[in-house]
Amino acid sequence: MAEIPRQTVTPAPLATSLGTASRSSAVADVAGLHVAFRREGRNLQALRGVDLRIQSGEIVGLVGESGSGKTVLGLSMLGLLPKTARTEGTVMVDGVELNGADESTRRRLRRRALGAVFQDPMTSLDPTMRIGRQVQEVAGSTAEALRLLEAVGIPDAQRRLRDFPHELSGGLRQRVMLAIALAARPKLVIADEPTTALDVTVQAQVLALFRRMRDEFGCAILLVTHDLAVASTVADRICVLYGGLVAEVGQVRAVLDHPGHPYTAALMASRIGLHADRDSQLPVIAGEPVQPSSDPVGCNFAPRCPAAAVLCREQRPALAVVSKHGGLAACHFQAGEDVARTLSTIATPWVAAASGRSAGNVTVHRLSVRFPGRRGLRRSEPFDALSDIDLSVAPGEAVALVGESGSGKTTLLRAIAGLQAPTSGRVDLGGGRRPQMVFQDAGSSFTPWLTVGQQLEERVAHLPATVRRERVLEALARLGLPGEVSRVRALQLSGGQRQRAALARAVIEPPDLLLCDEPISALDASLAATVLNLLGRLRRELGFAMVFVTHDLAAARLVADRITVMTRGRIVEEGTPDTVISQPSNPYTQTLLASVPEVATCP
Amino acid sequence: MPVRGVVTPGSGTLSRIRTREGSRLRDVGVLERVGFVLLLLLLSTSLAAPLFVLDPVISVAPAFQAPSPEHWLGTDDVGQDVFSRVMFGLRTSWLSAVAVIASAIVIGGATGLVAGARGGWVDALLMRLTDAFLALPGPVLAIAVAAALGASLRNTLIGIAVVWWPWYARLVRGEVRALAARPHVDAARLSGVSPMRLMFRHLLPGALPPIIVAASLDVQILVLTLAGLSFLGLGAPPPSPELGAMAARGADYLFASPWIPLAPGCAVFILAVAANLAGDGIRDLFDRG
Repeated sequence: MAEIPRQTVTPAPLATSLGTASRSSAVADVAGLHVAFRREGRNLQALRGVDLRIQSGEIVGLVGESGSGKTVLGLSMLGLLPKTARTEGTVMVDGVELNGADESTRRRLRRRALGAVFQDPMTSLDPTMRIGRQVQEVAGSTAEALRLLEAVGIPDAQRRLRDFPHELSGGLRQRVMLAIALAARPKLVIADEPTTALDVTVQAQVLALFRRMRDEFGCAILLVTHDLAVASTVADRICVLYGGLVAEVGQVRAVLDHPGHPYTAALMASRIGLHADRDSQLPVIAGEPVQPSSDPVGCNFAPRCPAAAVLCREQRPALAVVSKHGGLAACHFQAGEDVARTLSTIATPWVAAASGRSAGNVTVHRLSVRFPGRRGLRRSEPFDALSDIDLSVAPGEAVALVGESGSGKTTLLRAIAGLQAPTSGRVDLGGGRRPQMVFQDAGSSFTPWLTVGQQLEERVAHLPATVRRERVLEALARLGLPGEVSRVRALQLSGGQRQRAALARAVIEPPDLLLCDEPISALDASLAATVLNLLGRLRRELGFAMVFVTHDLAAARLVADRITVMTRGRIVEEGTPDTVISQPSNPYTQTLLASVPEVATCP
Repeated sequence: MPVRGVVTPGSGTLSRIRTREGSRLRDVGVLERVGFVLLLLLLSTSLAAPLFVLDPVISVAPAFQAPSPEHWLGTDDVGQDVFSRVMFGLRTSWLSAVAVIASAIVIGGATGLVAGARGGWVDALLMRLTDAFLALPGPVLAIAVAAALGASLRNTLIGIAVVWWPWYARLVRGEVRALAARPHVDAARLSGVSPMRLMFRHLLPGALPPIIVAASLDVQILVLTLAGLSFLGLGAPPPSPELGAMAARGADYLFASPWIPLAPGCAVFILAVAANLAGDGIRDLFDRG
């Protein structure tokens, strides 16, 4: 590791350090918030002393990986923590102390000052009630409901008033949620991963809407997200959580340009942007996130930090002013920029690609899949998921299928895997073996009651038992997993370990073709980068071909030799990553490209 | 790299905060626990009954004796010991219920598993067959079977079992179909597992919790159904100790010697309540919202 200057920073008094308006204009003020849950006799720390102040009318992006406590922080500001949570500290929202308040106080505050938008609007909306009624219940009158629905950009709102939630698309539902959240003129809206389940083009529209809503309604917004790019496109300030503590907080652009905390720097370094270097691996920081059951003495991040010193392991750093951006960071050395520099210099080149395997091209020939419509009372038309698709994948080649939900990309993948029977056309595996597949949610791709080892062994069932066990350990080791993983069930593993275990199953017997179904779309930046690195390495080491389904053009550009853009069951554009990204010929590709959220920084 | 034991609290989003983990004894209420203990007590004492009670089918004392230290629940019209007969009756009662449930799980489970796992025309055929059996009225069928083959406990049980399995077939088929659409089953298919292994290792275990819950709630219904049929004379012929038949035969002495009909009647009641509470408890254990 490069030399990193060690000069400790003395924490400044908090009040002077925020660089924002006086305390009284804060709509929410969280101080020293600890939240713990007891589960199976163990104490799980979700928040370990969080300070965060939200000024009225500002948008704060709350960023962190899963398990960082960002959702719990959002819940505590809504007064919606489960009863089993044990809390300490203060949560002032609009002048009311929420921590320890009784239910009626919290309910009154929610009605008066708070709005909420969640990831899946379908679970928040009442499926039996027309959306007009649902908005009007909060807004007071139908006229006001109509005005709100128009304000959040619902086309033909007058007619939509009479629709039920299931009749709307995901993007429209999320807009209805936003209309409901805004109906009571809240001072603060908490939005938890509001765009994670949406297509990129819709995500871009909803994100733009958040800014407009703030300008129009003057409410503050806490945008909880795992995606740094999402936060940076909308937020005024950003708050980075790590292991239940605020790692860094400050103005978005300034913080991302001059991170004071190594974790922020690591997030920036490992993000998958349209301009990342294709010739080397993404820089990632190794290691696992803080376990909620542990209680580290020093800095939370020290075990993974390239700049950690003895002091970091002995003493927890307090939030201190970072002169470069005027915000705060919890790092003894404010080593963010040094770590960023170090990470940018350690470009790990890819290993030389192994030669392609003996199998021929995998070809898809005039493939169509039609899902029959429903007959009977609730008729529906048949749906053409795929129409006349031709695709060819050479041995060792990586092809990315890019498209939004409903484009047919997953159906195509399943048809190649043999999991979906085609209506017409055929898939020719070119004499290769049965393809393997990596699923979006690695956890659910393991049978919950069988151990990881049992399921890895199934792929090599033809071998004698002792050899099988050896092969399982080999495969796990190849993915950097300890042997004991084979004896546990997938649900007992962390998210990153599950992805590795799923990859280990796919390559325990190297396939000729690996199919990946959105393997990184639900992952945090650092984990996504790790998985992309692993896929790139395995592909080159083992020489298999790959079809990578994604909605993310930036990820597609990084992993693939060729990009195929799909929409409505057809291929609309095909080419090398650089051609597709720099000179997209199809208007749909251009829309997709324009919607990719990028972290806006100065060069 | 250590293996992490637990998923972090609230690792989902706000709307998905409620977690679903393994069963937890703490969620079971007091009444349900009492019912469970009572049921265990009834089952174990009635199983062990032959070791410590009198022969239930011979006269051991003068008839119509009121409960006394020698005969805890008195004697009946032919001088048989009522307590001994109740214990044997309890044993028959719940063993019969278990036998019907076991047959229903085996037949219905197999049908549902194959239908759910294979899908297509196999599914359609098996499920229409199941529907046909569901349309049969249980007690009437039991009466018909008993009338055709002669009244005996075995024939009554056959009659009930014939209409009982379709519920399990539906239950298992529904669970299996839901599981079959999940990624882990696709993953297993791509791993090249055999159809048998897919059914028994990757699908069936997921259907077990609802089967156990249904079975535990069924005990009570079957105890009452069988007692009712036995009351109507569809069961083992006298003097076999069966609770329903005992209550029916003792009904004549309800006022003169009330212990004769009331003892078996109360036994059915207590067994049914205990089984019901225990069933609720087991459901709470497995079915957490």
